[in-house]
Amino acid sequence: MTTDIQQPTWVADARPVPRWAVALLALPVVLVILGAVAFAVFQPIQVLPRISLAPGYALIDQDGNRLTSEDLRGSLVIYNFTYTACGDGCPQTSRAMLAIQDALADLNTDGIPVRYVTISFDPARDTPAQLRRYADSLGADTTRWHFVTGDPVLLKQIIGAGFRTYYNQEADGRFTFDPVFTLVDGWGILRATYRTATPDPAILRRDVGLIIQEARNRDGVSRYAYEAAHLFMCYPN
Amino acid sequence: MTTLPGAPASPTPAAPPPLVSRRLITWAAAFLLMVGLIAGVVWWFTPPPLHGVVIQSPRAADDFTLIASTGEPVSLSDLRGKVVLLFFGYTYCPDICPTTLNDLALMAEELGARRMREVQVVFVSVDPERDTPEQLATYLRYFHPSFLGMTGDLADLQRIATQFGIFFEKHADTGLVDHSSAITVLDRKGFVRLVIPHGTSGKEMAADIAYLLRRG
Repeated sequence: MTTDIQQPTWVADARPVPRWAVALLALPVVLVILGAVAFAVFQPIQVLPRISLAPGYALIDQDGNRLTSEDLRGSLVIYNFTYTACGDGCPQTSRAMLAIQDALADLNTDGIPVRYVTISFDPARDTPAQLRRYADSLGADTTRWHFVTGDPVLLKQIIGAGFRTYYNQEADGRFTFDPVFTLVDGWGILRATYRTATPDPAILRRDVGLIIQEARNRDGVSRYAYEAAHLFMCYPN
Repeated sequence: MTTLPGAPASPTPAAPPPLVSRRLITWAAAFLLMVGLIAGVVWWFTPPPLHGVVIQSPRAADDFTLIASTGEPVSLSDLRGKVVLLFFGYTYCPDICPTTLNDLALMAEELGARRMREVQVVFVSVDPERDTPEQLATYLRYFHPSFLGMTGDLADLQRIATQFGIFFEKHADTGLVDHSSAITVLDRKGFVRLVIPHGTSGKEMAADIAYLLRRG
């Protein structure tokens, strides 16, 4: 009944699309784009990139025990690469490791163990006994800090190819090497590399915290937010 | 408000104005449709919860060449264009390898023959002394006809395994080889994309691989 009247009214309404209607339709699109840009710019969630697979290995520690990459699955691991005869004028990266451990001492890691591994690229001189002496001289807690070495060819594959860290033995027996620290997560994925002899312990603490926080938000909706953070490369500077 | 020339006259004042204008309803519907459409697009591009761990490798995995179970040398780069699942093990392996290969066979079944044409499961030996190409071929046939075995020089295998985060070590006394059991998944371009932990079911792996096939 009423349709008889309204039908022509409707047809009569067919005029250029009003501006407010266009705005209304564009609004969700604009909001989504703005949201994405805001996420990328303001980075409400920061993550560390999942750079690559950390190398797999089986090495011998300061007590003559085997330590494998598999033993450290489920732990956050910070690596440095050096040799015990590293003396004057040689970057003292193991000292920096001590500073890092101090900085991480009171960090709540939700029960995720943090381990430290010092890989020596000088297996000829760094026997397990020598590594033990080195650990003791540093006052290292060897329940969480492992000093390891192994076959030279394997070491080159692990340190050189796997961790992309340069080292080379000179004619006089000394090593030249790039001081490097790496952070590997519980999945065995390389998350950060610090190419300096003196990394800022505060930055290490922040980065370990970011991994812990991401692990804490592995389930439910927040997981999508963290994946979005990876997608938008919300990486700390 | 200007009236367009030729626009029909407004309805007679006698007609009662509708409670909610039809136009408003139409626009509201269009608005909802738009929101729905965007939600749909976002949903479509959001990855499903994957069972493996995602890696954003900045570069393709280093190439390698080994002897395949077909008896011929095969390079990783020969498999470009396929999603490659690398699993390290050995044919005398008592427990982990057969169960994982079984899971991979279930995955292949789940994906179906059509999608499996774009997938290659590679079983890399960590026991080259005993795992000859023939031995690998015989062994893998029990699981799935498409599975490819690879073996070679111990030093080469060690280098390759290390690169993919896999360690292995043979016990001289028992002949057993300790090795990591994760599966590494490379995308069609040869970039490492996923690490699938041991114990992931065939169905779960199929879901992850189906996603990689769908989204490159």
